Formats: sequence, structure tokens, C-alpha cells
Amino acid sequence: MARYFGIDKIGKLFSYIQQNGGIRNTLWKMYRMDEGKAGTLIGTDKYGNKYYEDPTQFYGRNRWVEYVEHRNLEYDGSQIPAEWFGWMHYKTDLPPHRDGNRKHYKWMADHSENLSGTTDSYMPYSTTRPKVEAWDPKKSTAQ
Amino acid sequence: MLRAPMFRALVLAQLPSRAGILFTTSRMQSNAPAKAPEKIEVFIDDQPVMVAPGTTVLQAAAQVGVEIPRFCYHERLAVAGNCRMCLVEVEKSPKPVAACAMPVMKGWRIKTNSDMTRKAREGVMEFLLSNHPLDCPICDQGGECDLQDQAMAFGSDRSRFTDINHAGKRAVEDKDIGPLVKTIMTRCIHCTRCIRFASEVAGVDDLGTTGRGNEMQVGMYVEKLFLTELSGNVIDLCPVGALTNKPYSFVARPWEIRKVDSIDVLDALGSNIVVSTRTGEVLRILPRENEDINEEWLSDKSRFACDGLKRQRLITPMLRKPDGEFEAVEWESALITAAQAIRNAPKDKIAAVAGSLVDAEQLVAVKDLLNRLGSELLCTEQKFPTADGTSGTDLRSNYLLNSSIASCEDADLVLLVGTNPRYEAPLLNTRLRKGYVHKEQDIAYIGPEVDLSYRYEYLGNRSLTIEDIAKGKHPFAQRLKQAKRPLIIVGANALARNDGKAYIAALQSFARQLKPEDKNWKVWNVLQTNASQVAALDVGYKPGVEEVLAAQPKVLFLLGADGNAVNKENIPKDCFVIYQGHHGDQGAQLAHAILPGAAYTEKQGTYVNTEGRAQQTLVAVSPPGMAREDWKIIRALSEVVGTVLPYDTLDELRNRMEDIAPHLVRYGHLEENNFYAQAEQLIKTQASSFQGDVDVNQKSLEDFFMTDSITRASPTMAKCVAAVKKAQATG
Amino acid sequence: MMASLIRRLPKASTSFKWIHSTSAVYADDPLKHKEAPIVENDVILSDQEVKEREKLSHLISLPKEKTLAPISGVPEEHVKTRRVRIYVPPKNAMQSGTHNIQRWRMEFDNRERWENPLMGWASSGDPLSNMNVDFNSKDEAIEHCEKNGWKWFIASEDKPKKERVKNYGVNFSWDKRTRVSTK
Repeated sequence: MARYFGIDKIGKLFSYIQQNGGIRNTLWKMYRMDEGKAGTLIGTDKYGNKYYEDPTQFYGRNRWVEYVEHRNLEYDGSQIPAEWFGWMHYKTDLPPHRDGNRKHYKWMADHSENLSGTTDSYMPYSTTRPKVEAWDPKKSTAQ
Repeated sequence: MLRAPMFRALVLAQLPSRAGILFTTSRMQSNAPAKAPEKIEVFIDDQPVMVAPGTTVLQAAAQVGVEIPRFCYHERLAVAGNCRMCLVEVEKSPKPVAACAMPVMKGWRIKTNSDMTRKAREGVMEFLLSNHPLDCPICDQGGECDLQDQAMAFGSDRSRFTDINHAGKRAVEDKDIGPLVKTIMTRCIHCTRCIRFASEVAGVDDLGTTGRGNEMQVGMYVEKLFLTELSGNVIDLCPVGALTNKPYSFVARPWEIRKVDSIDVLDALGSNIVVSTRTGEVLRILPRENEDINEEWLSDKSRFACDGLKRQRLITPMLRKPDGEFEAVEWESALITAAQAIRNAPKDKIAAVAGSLVDAEQLVAVKDLLNRLGSELLCTEQKFPTADGTSGTDLRSNYLLNSSIASCEDADLVLLVGTNPRYEAPLLNTRLRKGYVHKEQDIAYIGPEVDLSYRYEYLGNRSLTIEDIAKGKHPFAQRLKQAKRPLIIVGANALARNDGKAYIAALQSFARQLKPEDKNWKVWNVLQTNASQVAALDVGYKPGVEEVLAAQPKVLFLLGADGNAVNKENIPKDCFVIYQGHHGDQGAQLAHAILPGAAYTEKQGTYVNTEGRAQQTLVAVSPPGMAREDWKIIRALSEVVGTVLPYDTLDELRNRMEDIAPHLVRYGHLEENNFYAQAEQLIKTQASSFQGDVDVNQKSLEDFFMTDSITRASPTMAKCVAAVKKAQATG
Repeated sequence: MMASLIRRLPKASTSFKWIHSTSAVYADDPLKHKEAPIVENDVILSDQEVKEREKLSHLISLPKEKTLAPISGVPEEHVKTRRVRIYVPPKNAMQSGTHNIQRWRMEFDNRERWENPLMGWASSGDPLSNMNVDFNSKDEAIEHCEKNGWKWFIASEDKPKKERVKNYGVNFSWDKRTRVSTK
């Protein structure tokens, strides 16, 4: 009956607030992620991003990541490392720490996020030979 | 033609005055009555044409616009007649005749497109190609090759050349003839144009042929360099790719490049050039035909120094930091710093020194700026004797090559004083050589003994000789007096000496005494060495830096002044030096602020050559980096200083130039001067004495190549100097 | 000439008719004819239109000033700031052919080019950089520029070519000055 009238949603709201640690934290979470939902913590990656699951949500929205706090609003999908990528995209249901078949080789490169739009982003350099050689005052005074 | 003549007249009346002048003068010239000697009539492809007797078949055909193919024939060289490409059929003649060598006879009917002619051409072409390598794809001449074009137009479409024994085509070893000309001798078709050029025009009898028939080779007989200041012209003359431009080899194809007509400024002749550019880079410089100045030739310095335009360039404004180092800055801060220095200086302590490559636009802009600020301290680097106090350079005839470059070849007796035209103005020297070889001109020379490429009467290097000649005591003075068209050519460097006044006083009054046959013949000539000197003197710069430096200026503009006239020793200690120019050279070292300007290929600038002819360069590439056109820099600076110059566009500036000196904008036009009497009067008032012997700056070929900031930056020129020194060391 | 006479003739006759009203033409019983009556166009034209036609039948004179600049679609910047050089193309010093230089050509001033950093190709923002037009004479080139409102200047003189005497015999003259030691 409660479910029919949607009163259980109110219960859920309260449980979310509780899990988030108060109204204040919930509002902050909603500001940051546009969502206030809470779920079971599946794991944390090496950068501190937390991965959650809530099977009561429908498929496609039942796994999510809460980026590490110090990123504030500057987060982006490419910050999810490759280990967690599969779990996040439903390629596998086993999160990396529970999957025994993942090999770690020493030649594996560290994950790097997409740097586009930042000062570290890749800029193509000029491949043409400079056509004019500028005067270098230091060189010519040495002569 | 739908236009009514009245309409055209109305349009012309509305044209800007300058263009109108140009238009009318050229029209008047074309209306001049033609001479009418007895002419004979011949028929070229049934078109009748009247020609002077002695005209060759090839020239007669050219008059009706029929171009006969040729390899060995060249307008400005002797007729060789050895390539046989110009064979044409003459009616009733059993054999085809060589059009380049055969004078026409009355009533000849010449067929330039008959079966016999075409067969003859095809045969010649087949022989040429049977020994010419098929390396057009790797040949630098490809695309502008006479052999390629003519094989296409007149050759056979199939070959009978079969090499069943695999003996290969004829191959000839390449020769090393210097750092400028690359030889691929297998490609040579033995037209002998280079040989004729070397012996007739350059006067260096080094190239020649050995062997006959299939064994014939063009070369230098022994392993040596082609040591002449005109060697680059054999590249142009070569109809195939046997002689090519070494610095330009494998750089570009002719269909990729853009050509811009311009003017050369590395000597004072103002030779006409074509600047070839691609992707904003000057690749090579070729001569452009101008009968009045350079004919069709170009000196090696003008042709090959273009790689100096890409080295040692000033591409950003710079300011000297307190620790003495230069720092690249934005235009804004450079202009503000320069303007502050100008504003803080007393009005009459701002000076400018113009170097050798400055255009008239910049000269006028700087002069206007300084005059508006209240200073008159403007001078050129090179000295020129002036009457005391007032400037003797008020009269143009004093400092010009009055009797035009072209008429130098018509003189019958020439006296060269303190100038080596071979290296100061190579194309004037070819004129003198032309007069010597073809017009029985005699040349006498005062100065240190040098090789002028022709025999001259050597009068020693004592300045006493000049005095003797001027007083009529010397036997040569008598010869000059008897000569019908005598010339006295004095080098600008001789006049730039401290005793230059003595030279000008002695020789000018003597030149005045001479009575040439033609009343308009001008005896007194000065051969300038700097491209900017005439324009600078025309707009009222004072020659020589001494007066300006004596005034102890607080701000000194160096406009491309790299000639070491202003240096660390003679510059006032507390003077703020602003260098404006395009190369980091001697001038830039002294500067406190550097304003990067444009070189002559990067701006539309006016230059007046030594005969007083104004010509303009055109923009071939844009100035590199933050460098800008020079007059625009001055215009911007004037705005920051607070004394705004009243011109925003080149046209407005040129209107201003026209107000100062109208001839500056009459491009291509030679301005007449007739102030000889007054000029002499002015100079005569103060006589001074000679000191020391007559000397010239450029004595041998190694002195020729590096004379200004562009050539000093050029690696090719450095290679030339090294090659010449090496050749001289090994004998 | 003949054609204009023929055109005039009916006009003269119709102008006479014009005095009558058009109804006079139709007064004729149309039923008599098997088809609709042929009415001269002039009859039904208004006075104004006839006058216009009259004008067109003579030679027309255009206003003297012809400027294409406002309608040619060339951006104003390129009309007002460009300088056109009218010149005779110089002979290529590397070749002896002269067929492509016997004409006058107009060319715009060279503007800035910049370099593609990847390939080094040069780009230009100048739509007129490749616009070289050849003319048979200087006057035609000038008129074209005037019509388009471009500033122009003449950079070549049309001087007659200097005639040279060429003689094969000179090669054999015995003279200390012309003598050469090489062949």
C-alpha cells in the first residue's frame, strides 16, 4: 500500500540522508553530482574514487562513482582507471579486487586522465624548419 | 572598340597626377619619329617586312612576331651559329640556312614553318637529344628549359636512338667551377653561350672548348674556379641544365614559385630583378631586362646574397637591460621606451644616421619626425664633400652619375678616379667593357693597380696626377680636351675621404672646361656605392656623420647604419641609440632599443640609383616575425612621441615625398640636371689640398662579396670569399 | 539602316491611327473576321511607353562614369586599399622565348602569407592574390582598373626594342680588343 502511494520513497529519502551523513552533506552531494542517492560501497580505487552500487535502481543507473573529494567539480569520466572501467560499464560484475584473473605486468602504464583543455594538453609542434634565423645578440658579441 | 575617344580623354584627366605624368611621357616617346634608312623588303611566311640591310633572318622574323627556335643565338652575345636549331627554308635555296647568322637579301621569301624547315629542326633536335641525358625529373632546369620546350614543340615524337650495344650515352665529367655555379656537363649541348659571355661580357677568357665532334667538351682547360663577379649570368644563359644555380639546386620548380619584380639595392645601380618566392621565402633572384641599367645581367652579389635575407634577422623589438643584455619585448614597450628617450632629450640633440640600404620613404618619414621635433641633425653614413656650412649637395649634378649608365658605353675616353667599377658597380663595368670592345672606347685609371677586365691606361695612384690633369699639365688632359665624348667617373669612396673636397674642386672645374661635341654630354660623374645615398642627399640629409656626432646627440637613430661610421669609439657616452633595421650587424650592437624593419624584398620602397633614377621595390614576402615596414614604424613612433606625422598610407607618404622632391615618385624616369655652372662655383670657393694617394676599397674579387649587412649575413657570400681566397692561395 | 527604316514605317502609320481612339479599331464588326483582329501594339500602349520605345530606337548614350565597384561584389576593403600594378611581364631570364610577354598585365600588391605549421604550406587571406588579368594594351588595363575603382600605377614603359646589328663576320675580325683566346 505504502509502495502504491509512493510513501516508501520518503523512507528512502530519509535513508539516503542518513547514509550521506546529514542534510548538509546530502545537499552538497546534490550540488556536486546532481544526485543524492546512496548505495553500497563496492570499492575504492588508488586515486580515492569510490564506486557504489544500488541494485534497487534500474540497470544503467545502479553503478556509479563518487569522485574523490579534492576534485570538487573538476571531475570527468577519464579519471576512472582502467581496472574500474569494466565494472562501471557492466562489462564485468566483478570489481577488480574480487577478480582473480586480472594480471598485473610491470610494463603496464599508469592510468592518465584526458588532459584536453588543460595547460598540460597536447599541442602539435611545428614540423617545418624555421625559414628565418633570428639574430642572437649573445652569439654575435662573442665573435 | 566601343569607346569614344572623348571618353578616354576624360578618364585620363581624372587620373592621379603621378600616373598621368608617367602615361604622357611614355606616350610621347613612342611618338618620336623613326629613322628611315633604306630598307629592304623580305617575306617571312609570306608576310612582307621592311628591314635594314644586314639584318639577320632571325631578327627579321622577330620583327613580324615569328620566333625562330634557337639555342646558341643570344641577343647580347656574338653570333656563333653552331647549334643549327634556327635552320629555315629560303625559297630557291637548295639547303636550309641558319637564320641567326645569315643576313637577309632583298626579296627573300623565308619559310619558317615549311616541311623542309620542320624536318631540319627535327633532325637537329634528334641529334641533340641522342646525346642528352633524359634526366629532366632530377634536373634543376626542368620547367624552364629551352631544350625541353623546343623538343616538345619541334622534336620528333619517336626516337631512333637505340643502344643495342649498351654503350650508354655520351658522358662528361662534371667540373667544379666555384660555389655559385653547379655544372652537370653531360647535359651540355655545346651552344657556347657561356664561353662567349665569359670572354665578351665578363672579360674573363677562362671558359673554352676542347676536342671536336663527340669528344667536344666545354670547360676551363685546367682545374680552376670561374673567378668573376658576373659568373651567375652563365646560369641564365645556359639553355639546358648544364650550368645551374648551386645554392638554389633542388630547391624549387619554376611552376611553384611566385615572381615579383623588384629592384636590387646591394649596389648603387639599382639593377632590375625578379624575386622568386615560395611559401614566404625568397628562393632566388634573377635579373630583369632593363636596357637603361643592367641590360640582362646581374652581379653575383645581387643574385646570390638573397640567403642573407634569412640569416641574422631582427624579428622582434629589443631593449637593452641594465646589465647590457638584450631582451626581446613587445612593440608597445619598445616604442614607449624609445619615445620616452626622445621626449626627454633636448630638441636639438636628436640625430639620425642613414645607412646604405634605407629607402626614401623611411628617410622622409624620419626627417619629417626629427624636423617636427625641432632637430636638423640628419646625415648619411658615407661622406661627400660639401661647401662650408651650406651643403654642396643642394645641387644634384654634384653627386650623380650624370651621363646615365647606358651612355657610358658611348664615351670615347673615360677617366676613372678612385673607383674600381668592376666591384663597386659590376654592370657599369660591363658597359665600359662593351664600349672598350665594340666602340673603341679608351679608358684611363687613377688608383691602385687593379684588374678591370679590360686594358686601361694606368696613370698611377698619385693624387698629384689629378692636380696635373686638372691644371692641364698632364698629357692626358690634352687627350680629354680633344675627346668628343669624354667622361670623368669619380668613386664615391674617393670623395668620402677627408681630402674629397680637393678631388671634387679639381676635377669638376676641369670637367667644366671640356667641350664635348654634343652640348648635352655630361662629363662629370660620380659613381655612388650605396643604394640610399642619392635619395638621402635628395631629401636633404647631410653626408657624413662627423657634424652630427660633434653635436653630442642624446638620442641617435641608426637607420640600418652598419657601415662602421658610427662605432663604439665615436659615439657620445650618454647617448640613447635606437637602431632600426633588418639585420643584427654592427649597428645593432650599439643600440639600446632595436626596432626590427623590413629588408628590400619585404617592402614597397623607393630607391634612387646613382644616375638619379627613382625606382621602387615591391613586396615579395612579408617581413619576418614582428618586423614591420620601416616608414610605418616611424609613423607609429611619432604617435607615441606625440608629434603625429600626417600620413597614414603609402600613397599619402608618397604625396609628401612628391612635395619634397618630385623625381622621387617618377619611377623609372631619369631626371635631367643642369646646374653644373653653379655647382662648380660653390665648390671652387674653398680649395683644399690632397692628402696621400688615391685608393679604392675593393681591390680584388674577395673584397666584392661582403659589403653590407645582408651580404655579411649570407653563407653563400662567405663561401665565395673562402673559395676566392683559397684559389688565390693555391695560385 | 534598312532595318530601322522598316521599323519606322509602321510607326509612322500607327502614329496617325493614334489620333483615333482604340474603340475605332474595334468598331469594325469582329464577327466579320474569322479570328480576333490584329491590333498594333502601339495602339494600346500608353503615351509614356511609346516615348520610351522611341528613345530605344535611337542610339543610346550611357552616362560617362562607369564604376563597377559597388556591384562587382569585391569587398570594399579590397577596392579601397589595394594598388594595382600594370606592367609588361618581364622575360624569364632563364629562357629565350618571348611569346608570353607581349601583353600588359595587371597584378595586385602582395599581401601577407603565413605558414602552415605541419606542412609548411603558405596560406593567404588575400582573394585577389592570384588575379592577374592580361590586356592587349595599357589603356585597356587602365580602363579596367578605373571601372573597378582600383588605384593603379604603370610599372613598365613601352619602349621600342633596341635594334642590334648582328654579324657573323665579327668573329673573324682581327682586333686586339675583340680577340679572344678561347672558342
